[in-house]
Amino acid sequence: MAPQARGGLIVTVVGFFAGIWLFLAPFLVEYQKVGQDWIDATKNDLWTGGALMAFSALTLILFAAFALRDAARAAEQKNIAEAEES
Amino acid sequence: MAKYVIGATGALLGVLAGAWLMLAPFALAYQNSGADWADPTFVDFWTGLPLLVVSVVGVILYVSGLVEELRRRGIMRRPYAEPAGQPQAPSEPSDNASGSENNMEQVLLPLVTAMLKDMQERDRGRSETHQETPNNVQQARSAGEEGSVRS
Repeated sequence: MAPQARGGLIVTVVGFFAGIWLFLAPFLVEYQKVGQDWIDATKNDLWTGGALMAFSALTLILFAAFALRDAARAAEQKNIAEAEES
Repeated sequence: MAKYVIGATGALLGVLAGAWLMLAPFALAYQNSGADWADPTFVDFWTGLPLLVVSVVGVILYVSGLVEELRRRGIMRRPYAEPAGQPQAPSEPSDNASGSENNMEQVLLPLVTAMLKDMQERDRGRSETHQETPNNVQQARSAGEEGSVRS
């Protein structure tokens, strides 16, 4: 895997964990009391965190899928080239 | 190639999310300007700022990966690429000045090669005619001698 791709994947994983943190932060930092109506900050953090988790996960899944497709194509081409040589 | 586009899009969304998190406390007015920052503001701002920075790095990495892939496939040209088989000398102060000369050489190289080929073909043609002409001369001479005898 190219170093740029590896770095990019790490960044995406960091984004995913940032989403988890945002989702839990109102309750961990205790500016949202459990059982009470959600304040604006809680709503914002839950929506932003959820969205961040969703598109980070989607990015990771799609990246993995396309990387596997590229790898499969490269292997096929290598096999064809070897068959032509022999 | 598509994987880099998807990654860059995801990282770009991360940049936007980071920027939104930094602005949200003020935009949604759960932080009054001038007042001490409340806990939600601290959380949102100090999550948004690193997220923004990290996502910008991600966008740069994915885009550089994409550019590298495009160059590898020959879709994009590498800037200052040296032609194969012509290793560049180690950089010297005069290298910047000679850079344009190298470019000129690269432009002129196919022209000079074509000219050389043409000249070689002409030389070959001439040598072939030279091989033919001595026989012709000898024949002409003998014909002339015969003519002189007759007269």
